[in-house]
Amino acid sequence: MIVVEDVHKRYQTDHGPGKWVLQGVSFTIPRNLSVGLIGANGAGKSTLLQIIGGVDHPNKGRVERHCRVSWPMGFGGGLQGSLTGRQNAKFVCRVHGHEDDIPERIAFIQGFAEIGEAFDQPVKTYSSGMKSRLQFGLSLAFDFDVYISDEVTSTGDAAFKSKASAAFKKLADHASMIMVSHSDGTLKQFCSAGIWIHDGKAHWFDQIDDALKAYKSTLPK
Amino acid sequence: MPITHTLSTQAAPQSGGSARAGRSHLEITLAVWKALFLREALGRLFSARASWFWLLAEPVFNVAYMLVIFSVIRVMHVGGIATLVWLMVGMLAFFMFKRTGTQVQNAISANQTLFTYRQVKPVDTLLVRAGLEGLLMIIVASILLVGAALFGYSVVPADPLAVLEAFFGLWLVGLGFGLVTSVLIELVPELGRVLKLVMMPLYILSGVIIPLSAVPQPYRDWLLLNPVAHGLEAARLGFAPYYHAVAELSVAYIYQFALVSIFLGLALHRRFAMRLVTK
Repeated sequence: MIVVEDVHKRYQTDHGPGKWVLQGVSFTIPRNLSVGLIGANGAGKSTLLQIIGGVDHPNKGRVERHCRVSWPMGFGGGLQGSLTGRQNAKFVCRVHGHEDDIPERIAFIQGFAEIGEAFDQPVKTYSSGMKSRLQFGLSLAFDFDVYISDEVTSTGDAAFKSKASAAFKKLADHASMIMVSHSDGTLKQFCSAGIWIHDGKAHWFDQIDDALKAYKSTLPK
Repeated sequence: MPITHTLSTQAAPQSGGSARAGRSHLEITLAVWKALFLREALGRLFSARASWFWLLAEPVFNVAYMLVIFSVIRVMHVGGIATLVWLMVGMLAFFMFKRTGTQVQNAISANQTLFTYRQVKPVDTLLVRAGLEGLLMIIVASILLVGAALFGYSVVPADPLAVLEAFFGLWLVGLGFGLVTSVLIELVPELGRVLKLVMMPLYILSGVIIPLSAVPQPYRDWLLLNPVAHGLEAARLGFAPYYHAVAELSVAYIYQFALVSIFLGLALHRRFAMRLVTK
């Protein structure tokens, strides 16, 4: 269960504090429920994911994580460009305290990512799709209760998307996902509930379709 | 630049959430340090073609061209010890401070992507970098001294503990310098340029290529406010007890300076922890 309580967030700019990105966001995500975050560009979806993932901190309010939450995957974050895919994978294993079974986890990640020889090339030479494959494989190599994905599936090809979705369905009995995506198909494929972020507030919908409808109703026709 | 504006200082919301339940804070930190150390070592030694060679070549070339200049003006001894040994010990001691300082200072920007994993804190990357740089400098210094020994110079320190004390002190000063400046640079980016300008004359002001005992008072006292100058003289004195070091030499000053700057740096990191990971 993840409890988000009255979260306020704004960033520092060069000219003082910026405008509020999130203003009093509160919701509770129950166990085993996958949620999609919907909203316009710049609405604060990624910011919220970062805060839920514990990488960023709210100016006000709090987040309680009563389960194991993954790091936020997305935009090549968490991958060191000068290191190879394998070296990055080892780094993540070590950080998460899995020093003893690195070879098995590396084998899993390599198998899932299916990026061939590029696994031993520096990550900065990767395409965005290859980074997504690696990131997704990395996070699946660990047992999290909640996986956080920021558009990570959007750059993958069809084969990768169906593989990711299948891998996810297998985890569905004990794990869930919080994801940002601009593709309706992806959201419907992975998520059942939805959160629509609008004007710094979060609106909860039990059905992802309703959230999409609410979001689209605000779009200029 | 509104550096006085403060973010909310309440305690970070924290609960559970580690990948493997039941790991203690110490276990997590040690795992992160190990992972970072290996990652930093790879980057430092193998990121570019023969990066490891340049680690060694930089002090060698610095010593070599200064040695050429000193030979041309026929300076065979400085303060009673051979010019090469004087130069080399001073240079290595200076690099111990400078490399540690700059590596630590730049640790945050070099590891920005890794803060995606909430187990990794900015200060971890700094401490690990300092450790790695200290270790590398000991290896570099050993190789250079063995090299000089092959050329027939006497490079066995008369008082090895005093040499280690001086180098360790300089390493601590470098760590403290890096800890403080890394935060200041995040808060006021322009400071990065200023610090680069300051680093250049520091080479001369610390007495790497001029003996500070030759500087008249009151200027010598001013130069000796710089702890690095003390460190260099202390290291040389450890190599040869008959070396004419500056009379005001104080090893205690190096350690006091280091202690204060490390404390200040850690305090700044604690205070601005959030500012460092969020952009």
